[in-house]
Amino acid sequence: MRIVSTDHKVIGLQYLFTSLVFLLVGFLFILLIRYQLAYPGAPLPLIGRWLPEALAPGGVMQPDFYTQLVAMHGTTMVFLGVVPLAVGAFGNYLLPLMVGAPDMAFPRLNALSYWLYLAGGIVMFSGFFLPGGAAGSGWTSYPPLADIAPAGQTAWLFGMFFLILSSLVGSINTIVTILQLRAPGLTMMRLPIFVWTQLVTAFLLLLAFPPLQGAAVLQLMDRLAGTSFFLPSGLVVSGDPIAATGGGSPILWQHLFWFLAHPEVYVLILPAFGIVSEVIANATRKPLAGYRAMVGGMLFMGFMSFLVWAHHMFLTGMGPTMSGFFQVTTMIISVPSVIFVTTLLLSLYGGSIRFTVPALFALAFLPMFGIGGLTGLPLGLAAADIPLHDTYYVVGHFHYVVAPGTLFALFAGVYYWFPKVTGRRMNDLLGKVHFWGSLIGMNGIFLPMFIQGLAGVNRRLYDGGRTYTSGLGIAHTYSGQWWAAVLLGAAQLFFMVNLFWSLRRGARTDANPWRATTLEWTTTSPPPAHNFATPPSAHRGPYDYSTPGMAEDFTPQSQAPAASQS
Amino acid sequence: MIPYTVERRADTGVSNVTMGIWLFLASEVMLFGGLFSAYALLRVSATAWPNGRDVLSLAFGATNTVILFVMTGLAWRARSAATAAAARRGLLFASLLAIAFLAVKSAEYSDEIGRGLLPKVNTFLAMYFTLTGLHALHVICGLVANLWAIVGLARVGDQMTLGRVRALALYWAFVDIVWMIIFVLMYLT
Repeated sequence: MRIVSTDHKVIGLQYLFTSLVFLLVGFLFILLIRYQLAYPGAPLPLIGRWLPEALAPGGVMQPDFYTQLVAMHGTTMVFLGVVPLAVGAFGNYLLPLMVGAPDMAFPRLNALSYWLYLAGGIVMFSGFFLPGGAAGSGWTSYPPLADIAPAGQTAWLFGMFFLILSSLVGSINTIVTILQLRAPGLTMMRLPIFVWTQLVTAFLLLLAFPPLQGAAVLQLMDRLAGTSFFLPSGLVVSGDPIAATGGGSPILWQHLFWFLAHPEVYVLILPAFGIVSEVIANATRKPLAGYRAMVGGMLFMGFMSFLVWAHHMFLTGMGPTMSGFFQVTTMIISVPSVIFVTTLLLSLYGGSIRFTVPALFALAFLPMFGIGGLTGLPLGLAAADIPLHDTYYVVGHFHYVVAPGTLFALFAGVYYWFPKVTGRRMNDLLGKVHFWGSLIGMNGIFLPMFIQGLAGVNRRLYDGGRTYTSGLGIAHTYSGQWWAAVLLGAAQLFFMVNLFWSLRRGARTDANPWRATTLEWTTTSPPPAHNFATPPSAHRGPYDYSTPGMAEDFTPQSQAPAASQS
Repeated sequence: MIPYTVERRADTGVSNVTMGIWLFLASEVMLFGGLFSAYALLRVSATAWPNGRDVLSLAFGATNTVILFVMTGLAWRARSAATAAAARRGLLFASLLAIAFLAVKSAEYSDEIGRGLLPKVNTFLAMYFTLTGLHALHVICGLVANLWAIVGLARVGDQMTLGRVRALALYWAFVDIVWMIIFVLMYLT
């Protein structure tokens, strides 16, 4: 297998393994963070003495190192882990197979997008070796702090530049592949939900990322050319007035950043919806309830996601007119999410559910995403958001959406399509241990955050708020979260062992072990070069399960209707 | 092997390349749209904002406006050329003008830097260098793409090359439009 390949299946697997490594690194940062919050001032176990003296003298974490870990955890998980896994890996590997195409529309651009992504990740992580360490201004990189931060922030910006180029190239490729390379008969309303979610996601990446690219250029100019796009007049740092002319606006960065980063939330969640839909339709052996409602809902969601960004900025004092507008749009955008979850719940009704490992992850996604979504509603209203915004409540809210939400869906996808990629199945017992360990571990970490947040603990303190009265009452809850993180990490060991063991030793299966309907299952597992021996065509919708009068409980999309019914 | 690389798909009405370039331009609109919004926000909230005519050299700017305009015309003519060889010739002349644009732009930059007009002096100049620099980067990337289409003719054949020239003509028209906006925002007001 060539390292630089233009085959979408190879690129998909490159994305898969690279993003899994980044997810693991992002999780290891969390182990350090959780230990620090549980036992501030205690030397970090095992790795403490290997850390450089400047970051952790005697193995004791310093505040600077803590902020670097938090910033790099967020950036790594969002931009290097979850999105490349959801869009790069699943999108690349599955889209051409699901639409019946030999490859992506632009194979060489596809390879370019992977290598730009890898370069972006490496450049960003190179910050750890620069004086002052990696970027430490949060994954949001708010100025003026980010403008005056050490050199790691410059590495962050250059890394982001590569990542945005990568996602630009990738999203064009995705849209053209879906619209242009659909097999004969595969009309838009016959596309699997997963393909629809990737299409809407690609449009969000295409249109929302460029303003952040522009903002990153402006911040680079501030840092390297001495401009003041984001530096206000009269800024004093450590008692000294800064040298720049000032006159800029820190709020401008927030607008440009959140114009990307709110659609980015839907980039994180939409592919997860897609995977869960495929798995649930398959596990319940019946058509999804409300296919049209789902498609309409996600198109509406994609459009609305460009009109809600400033609900992240109620604390900037934007005034009641502005916040009124963004509160209304925010309440409106919760409707399509509810449509999605409701249709999936209704799809379960009356089904004889197969509780396979992918189905367990997909089913757990629903209540977990439900908690994440419903706890978000108070944050969409300025009156409730202002006291909650800087507390752990917000951290709990979005982690429920992204961790036991999106990540669970991605795990479901790995277990579900593993037989497609390898012709083998992953081990069921190891998979179930992975599932239950992850479910308990994640809830053990994130549930206490709501309590900590409602107690008023600020989410940015490296000692967990013990210097404040509000933090003292809940300080004991951190050690439980540390042990939950250990459990979560232990559960991932079962996943890693399962993944690598099953690659070589997993039980062999036929081409379609789940008895699924969509086009990717009509070719061999693993698929040959250029995917299909004969180009497929579609004759029906994507979820023809348990059709009355058929011999099997599934009818593949490629199966032509009987010549004559009479 | 991959369908619709040169021919149109019946239900979408376009080839892959055409759809790809339009999507790319949509994202470019968002990039410059974001930057122009930043310009508007910074300008209205600034305590002092010079008139571009008093700071920058209108002669340089106007020359480059004419050069880009003619170049886009050439690229656009190449778009409807009868043969790939003719299209390639048109693209070659357009590329020479793009190089002329960059030469004028470099002369202008060195003149400004010689007069002490640096990005850090004020937000007007910061915006000027950022916008024109990013625009010049687009001209450079377009030049590379031009050369790639010119050299590629022998390898990929007539139909593919004509498709590439059509996409490039759209790109150059976009680069020209962005320049017109920058010219008005920075040099004239």
